[in-house]
Amino acid sequence: MLLSIQNLTVRYGADTALSVSSPIDIEEGDRVGVIGSNGAGKTTLIKSILGLVPYEGAIRTGLRPEQMAVHMQFNEYTDAMPVRYIMEAVLGTKIARDKKLQELIAFFEFGDCLRKKYAKLSGGQKQRFTIIMVMMQEAALTFYDEVTSGLDFETRQKLVEKLVEWYRGKKESLVVVSHYYEELDQLAEKLLILDKGQVIDYGSKDELFRKYCGRAVIVVSHSERNEELLSGFRKLSAPAHLIAVSCESEGTEKAVTELLQRNDVNYKRSNNDIEILYTNAKAAKGGQTDGK
Amino acid sequence: MENNERKTVSRQMLAFEFRKTIGNPYVHIFGVGMPVLMMIIITRAVVGEIADAAIRSGVNTTVFLGIGALIPMATIFMGYGVSNAQELEKGIPQRMELFGIKPGVTICNRILAEAIFMFLAFLIYFAVGYAAVDLEAPELSGALLYAVCILGFSVFLFCFAYGISSLLRKFSLTYCVTMLLYFAMMILGGMMGISYENLPPAVQLVAKLLPVTYINRDFYTVWKGENYNFVPMLQSYLLMGAAAGILMFFTMKRRERKLH
Repeated sequence: MLLSIQNLTVRYGADTALSVSSPIDIEEGDRVGVIGSNGAGKTTLIKSILGLVPYEGAIRTGLRPEQMAVHMQFNEYTDAMPVRYIMEAVLGTKIARDKKLQELIAFFEFGDCLRKKYAKLSGGQKQRFTIIMVMMQEAALTFYDEVTSGLDFETRQKLVEKLVEWYRGKKESLVVVSHYYEELDQLAEKLLILDKGQVIDYGSKDELFRKYCGRAVIVVSHSERNEELLSGFRKLSAPAHLIAVSCESEGTEKAVTELLQRNDVNYKRSNNDIEILYTNAKAAKGGQTDGK
Repeated sequence: MENNERKTVSRQMLAFEFRKTIGNPYVHIFGVGMPVLMMIIITRAVVGEIADAAIRSGVNTTVFLGIGALIPMATIFMGYGVSNAQELEKGIPQRMELFGIKPGVTICNRILAEAIFMFLAFLIYFAVGYAAVDLEAPELSGALLYAVCILGFSVFLFCFAYGISSLLRKFSLTYCVTMLLYFAMMILGGMMGISYENLPPAVQLVAKLLPVTYINRDFYTVWKGENYNFVPMLQSYLLMGAAAGILMFFTMKRRERKLH
């Protein structure tokens, strides 16, 4: 086991920012997605693992601090020099002599930015700059905290594609915090769901999906007609603009899809929709029976 | 990189810290420009009415040695202080630590970078001084003692700059506090026109606790290799060193990461 968290409590003054009662274990090679709304305790969890905030409880790991790498939500560097010098100092190397670093710079198309100062880089370039240095650490455990926040859709997508491609087949463990479900879909195999400083659930995406959503879900847009049409089926909690139907069996799935096709209703079928999973896990924890 | 133990001092880190040092405009203005300018102006103003050439060069040398103490006060105390505060405000030291660069490594490289910059600043100061002003040549012991005293004073100033900026963690506050202390040291050290002897007795009590007072007032005697009672100066160094060491230790402990 790479890291184990037990009975963790983090307090900011009188407020409890995070409370983890059931153990959370991260194994070698795990790709863990951390999901939760603002104030859920996602960044606090990372900070406590990294020893940046005081906590009660136990975080057990054989990893040394330098074996953990992190891309924080906000990363700042000095503006006194071009970023190439920062990169060389941080990594203790020379770009001209380091093949792996050259490969990463090329992979992230960062070559043209090396002469610029950090303040002159765009949002996406800033993220890529830190990512390159984080990746160069080749840490056994790497944290990415909202690595794409503040980026436009296209840049976000490109960056996540690059990350997926880079880590494909590698044995490093990742912990990825994100508000974007599609990012977690691509990067994570396990999910840690947090809400208001509490752990809602932790497990593999597939297990959690089956637990909260069933075998598959059929999602349609929300309308009175669709509500009426699907009134005979078990509905799941879903965002206000959607209706999600749980399909526990192939028979139910067939019945729902045939009904929707007969009535010319567009639908989406999924057996790993993280947004619906998250909504229902949160609703189950809150004792709700129906979504908005 | 995973298993490579980072060297305490490396070429890249030293160059990195040196670039940060020279990237700070304060150190050029207050650390190089101002001492040179003050030295030229004050020597001209003070010795203007002295007819005796020997006395004139003695007075020039006294002023020159005293104002030299401004170099570490500006480059290290103010320059490093505000630069560190600015970095702390942005979370840069923590970011570096998360890359596996321990605070001790950063501090060691920064101390060396500051020392190199200060050496260059003193080179300019001495070059301009000996070219533009009539100065007396030192005895070897005097020159060495001046270097040792300035170096010791600089180390304590570095500790104070680190401590103050780490406690305040804000550029504006650190700038304000270091600037106030900078001028306080200048006034108490007798560099602003009021000599130690003309200070009120209560203020003299504070002034004699500062090494800068002795550098400014007495160093000509040491420079010329004449007999000098080092005890009061040594006491001021010990006191300042103890205060600086405690502050540095306390703030470093406070900033330490608490890992499992």
